[in-house]
Amino acid sequence: MINLIADLGAGLLTRLVQIGQALLMLLQAIFVQPKASSLPRLMQQLFVVGVQSLIIMLVSALFIGMVLGLQGYTLLSAYGSEQAVGQMVALTLVRELSPVVAALLFAGRAGSALTAEIGLMKATEQLASLEMFGIDPLHRIVAPRFWAGMISLPLLVAIFSLVGIYGGHLVAVDWLGVYSGSYWGNMQQAVDFNEDVLNGMIKALVFAFLISWIALYQGYSCVPTSQGISAATTRTVVYSSLAILGFDFILTALMFGGAV
Amino acid sequence: MATNGIINIRNVSFYRGDRVIFENLNCAIAAGKITAIMGPSGTGKTTLLRLIGGQLQPHKGQVLLFDQDIARLNRKQLNHLRARMGVLFQSGALFTDLSVFENVAFPLREHMNLSADELYNRVLLKLEAVGLRGARDLMPSQLSGGMARRVALARAVAMEPEIILYDEPFAGQDPIAMAVLQRLIKGLNSQMQLTSVLVSHDIAEACAIADQVILLGEGRVLAQDSPAALQASADPAVKQFIHGEADGVIPFHFPALPLQEELRGQSK
Ligand SMILES: Nc1ncnc2c1ncn2[C@@H]1O[C@H](COP(=O)(O)OP(=O)(O)OP(=O)(O)O)[C@@H](O)[C@H]1O
Ligand SMILES: [Mg+2]
Repeated sequence: MINLIADLGAGLLTRLVQIGQALLMLLQAIFVQPKASSLPRLMQQLFVVGVQSLIIMLVSALFIGMVLGLQGYTLLSAYGSEQAVGQMVALTLVRELSPVVAALLFAGRAGSALTAEIGLMKATEQLASLEMFGIDPLHRIVAPRFWAGMISLPLLVAIFSLVGIYGGHLVAVDWLGVYSGSYWGNMQQAVDFNEDVLNGMIKALVFAFLISWIALYQGYSCVPTSQGISAATTRTVVYSSLAILGFDFILTALMFGGAV
Repeated sequence: MATNGIINIRNVSFYRGDRVIFENLNCAIAAGKITAIMGPSGTGKTTLLRLIGGQLQPHKGQVLLFDQDIARLNRKQLNHLRARMGVLFQSGALFTDLSVFENVAFPLREHMNLSADELYNRVLLKLEAVGLRGARDLMPSQLSGGMARRVALARAVAMEPEIILYDEPFAGQDPIAMAVLQRLIKGLNSQMQLTSVLVSHDIAEACAIADQVILLGEGRVLAQDSPAALQASADPAVKQFIHGEADGVIPFHFPALPLQEELRGQSK
């Protein structure tokens, strides 16, 4: 029994130490004054992290929007209010599904790649050799990737919502025959910029922070062997996904819970 | 023992968890000479280079580089010292997202204000010296292991540093490349009065160019002497290592029962 408590305590302690280390890594990486030469590196990472995640986002957003259009239509038409389908699709996407689904996809697509890349750099002594050239790998490698994540995900979430809404339109209006004017009109009336769009973007920013942080820390601190890198990559996806879902609940409660 | 070398290791102890890697290690590396560090695999040769480069901190003792205790330097001072030092990592450690040319150009771009032409010429000359000028546009993934190591060597010497640390430069090289690399290391050393620290398992090749050999084993310096003196040494451990005998004071085999007892169907 005492052993169990001791083990639990030790486990908790190592976790806390890890979180402390991760925080320290992040602070060292992001509090540097930017130089002119860091811009091309940021652009390159924006391409790798953001642009290369675009296809998977577009396809998923289209399908999710179509499913929402279909489900919304069947549900709402039972009450004869299928004109409201546009409003339902838009609110579901902007408030919840876009940030959460885009973030989960982002963790799987970009987060895992970041961890593997940095882990491999560590294993092949590239980080050590940067250090020996007098360059801090936290500034050179970690920082641009972090900022690229912070910038990309909110943009991807915005695109996700737009494409999803279009997907809903495709099913509800073009296929099932809802009047196009009421699809857009209801949406415009129901969606509030501050309440919905801005809150969705805040979620996206929080998720971007969590994913980038987890992915970079896992890569940077991994055991530099093939098993170590693969374990770290798995941890990135698992921890990011759990963090996204957990924080989504907390944020939703804070943002929309007051009205209840 | 440790006197005024350009690199001084004073009473250094270093541990990995409970494992002792070094206990009270003392040695000095003389300026302008080639010092070979040898010893069985896993004794801590790479670890020693990392202590010298300041990437690892000793648990006890001091590492003095240019007469400065590197544990007491701040980041900026340490980086300043590191710019005077070139390192060839055991795995080469080329940047995988840069071409061969850009890899060699990397330290020059970071630390020197060369014109585009000067930079280009300097990189080409370094690549020429390792026989890979023609490979300048290849990516590291397109190189063989031995080629990658030669590119890494060109990169390590690109800054024309005062100290170069080579971790196994000869591993995976054919006899021709080996001889070229030997001449290159020797040449760099004599032309520019560089201090070279060379970790190697190739006793003959390393002894041929080294002025001094430090033999590591069991967490300490087993011997520190000129190659000729070591080859004539009567010390059993030194003799065993230099002549490559499996049986002796340094165990080659992991502890086990006698072979006859373990082979099947061989009793009596
Ligand atoms: N990151 C690490 N964590 C724990 N132990 C390590 C680590 N790196 C090295 N070691 C241990 O330290 C010892 C010395 O390692 P080192 O790499 O310095 O050996 P070496 O002399 O360079 O060997 P080789 O000739 O095979 O390259 C090894 O026995 C190794 O098990
Ligand atoms: Mg080694």
